[in-house]
Amino acid sequence: MAAEVVAAVITDLEVMKASQIGMKAIAASFAIVGTAFAAAWAEMAIGSAAVGATAENKDIFGLVLLLTVIPETIVIFGLVVALLLIF
Amino acid sequence: MLTPRQMCRLLIVASKDQLAPVVKELYRSHMFHIEDFVVEGREGYDGFSIGTPLTGATEVSTDLVKVRSIENVFQIQPADMETTVKRRHADLKSVIERELPAIGREVEDLTGRRLKLGATVKECEQKITDIAPFAAIPVETELYRGYERFTVIAGYVSKDVAVPEPAEVHFTKSKSSNFIVVVTPNDHRSDVDRVLQEANFQAVPLPAGTGMPQVIIDGYRDQITSAHREIGEINQKLTEIKGRHSEFLVACEEILKAEVDLAEAPLRFATIGQTFVAEGWVPSDKVEPVKEALAKATGGNVFVDEIAVGEHDPVPVEYNNPPFARPTQLLMDTYSRPKYTELDPTILVSIVFPIFFGLILGDVGYGVLLLVMCLGLRKFLKGEEGQQLLAVLRNASISSIFFGVLYSEFLGFPCPWPYLLPSRHLNIGAHATGHGPNIPGLMMMAIWIGIVHITLGRTISIANHARQDHGSHRIKSVLANVGWILMIWGSLFLIWSMVPMPYMPDLSGLPPVVLGLNVPSLIGIAALVVGIICIARESALEIVELPTIFSHALSYSRIVAVGLSSVAIAMVVNYIAIGMLIEPQLENITLVGVIFIIMGVMVFLLGHVMNTALGILGGGLHSLRLHYVEFFTKFYKGGGKKYSPFGLTRRFTED
Repeated sequence: MAAEVVAAVITDLEVMKASQIGMKAIAASFAIVGTAFAAAWAEMAIGSAAVGATAENKDIFGLVLLLTVIPETIVIFGLVVALLLIF
Repeated sequence: MLTPRQMCRLLIVASKDQLAPVVKELYRSHMFHIEDFVVEGREGYDGFSIGTPLTGATEVSTDLVKVRSIENVFQIQPADMETTVKRRHADLKSVIERELPAIGREVEDLTGRRLKLGATVKECEQKITDIAPFAAIPVETELYRGYERFTVIAGYVSKDVAVPEPAEVHFTKSKSSNFIVVVTPNDHRSDVDRVLQEANFQAVPLPAGTGMPQVIIDGYRDQITSAHREIGEINQKLTEIKGRHSEFLVACEEILKAEVDLAEAPLRFATIGQTFVAEGWVPSDKVEPVKEALAKATGGNVFVDEIAVGEHDPVPVEYNNPPFARPTQLLMDTYSRPKYTELDPTILVSIVFPIFFGLILGDVGYGVLLLVMCLGLRKFLKGEEGQQLLAVLRNASISSIFFGVLYSEFLGFPCPWPYLLPSRHLNIGAHATGHGPNIPGLMMMAIWIGIVHITLGRTISIANHARQDHGSHRIKSVLANVGWILMIWGSLFLIWSMVPMPYMPDLSGLPPVVLGLNVPSLIGIAALVVGIICIARESALEIVELPTIFSHALSYSRIVAVGLSSVAIAMVVNYIAIGMLIEPQLENITLVGVIFIIMGVMVFLLGHVMNTALGILGGGLHSLRLHYVEFFTKFYKGGGKKYSPFGLTRRFTED
């Protein structure tokens, strides 16, 4: 009897552990999805403006390339959070 | 090294008859950055006006325009040409007078003829388009015209229509349109028009010329073919002329440009009566040689004096870096050239940029690939900027190899030696074992780099403000930057004293002294309070920026993030190519198996080529961004004017 109870508790614990890992993975994916979407959205606006500006004046290509990658910080923060969640 | 080259302001005064020798000597020395004279608004220059060009300026300008127009036809870019032989100035001058008009005429004739032929081709093509719909109707074109009692209508309709009698109708149906020709007595014209309008009729002009439409079309086609043949011959002739004269043309452009510059230089000087005044900048160590050379050129009939440099003078900026840091000047100019008064961080960027690149793309395989690519491209990328870019990339790829050894990575595979930096090897693939990447270690490494880099930026800012500002503003600015450093390190002490963190000092175990706080936390709190006061004293609005101490330090975690993504792509490519496609087939080789193996090799090559390209973008752009956004915003203003001395570096000619 006691052995069965112990076995049941152990199985429950394993299930809980597994579901915790799963929840962590889902949370990490949310972190990436949200921030990646935000970064993409921001880069969309900056990128189109940057191309327009470069068409007017080629010399500012270096600067606008830089402005375009600035929102990538958002997705990098997302990645940091995701990595911290998993590892 | 950390400051731009010292400059001196020179004032040159002489009588107008010395203008030519002075200008010539300044041009030859290639040291004098002319400060253009503007008539209005210059103190002490009342009554002065700008000078007049030297004699012969107009003729030389005309020749230069001619040479450039020929170069334009041939699409010759002097920057892309290699110097094979340097021509002598005097020889070239006589050749220009003799040959340039002839070459100009020949090229002009040929391009004019080519233009005419091009127009003929277009015209014939238009005529073919106009007549093509009539080709299907077996009627000679002259039969469409010249009737008194009949009207001929031709055009496109959306569908077949029943034209009321009496009328002769020819309907041609094709995939894209329906063409109709109607011949009707003049009395019935209105009825026919009405029916046609219902079918969205669009009229086309009746064909000109005589004969069958197809014969006319063939005639035009023959004209087009012969025009194309002639254009081809002209192009060949032009290529021959280009091959024969391109070196001569770039040499011509060089000496004519030099002569135009010389002749027009007085337009940048101030003149009054029989005297002219030129102001400009010369590197401090070159002042004496320039003075001596001018005195020699004019026989001592010139007055040259150094003027004190004012605080707000627009001093031109010339970099002063050791050879290894020079290519990095390209990255500085992309952002902005440093101001004369501020510290020039080029040398720091030239050291730190490759390190960041290496930390991101730390892989022996990719490093070697990039290095080979850089060395190979050196032959093809001409021009100073291209060479600078390749030199920067070369340094970055060497650093990538170095860090690849430390990370123990080769195209995503582990190398036989142990890793010396925190591991980035991921567990990818069905049989992957091992303890995976050391994320906390990598993160802490990146954040430590960030803290040190930002502290360095703030320290340079202290030096800049101490050099540039005056009075109470200087003290406030310097203290504000000290405040920022205190904020960073105060926060760190506070964190260390509360939470034990990997790869950081653990001060949480120390006994509490006051209110449950231990000594490091008290130090941290004190630093924070002092820091905030220092920052607020300069500008209270800066308080809003306080969170940036965390966001900027965390931003350095991109070194890990971008690097890990590169490793992940490499390992996935390896797993798909080798683990899934090649390895299972090697056990029992069949014909299908060989196809799979070839596919595997393709995936391997394509995957790694793509990842190398991504690596350059990721590694390069993110390292650059860390400099421009996180580092430069702490201390760097930029906006310096480029030092461009009067004169020309001769590439194709010599005196």
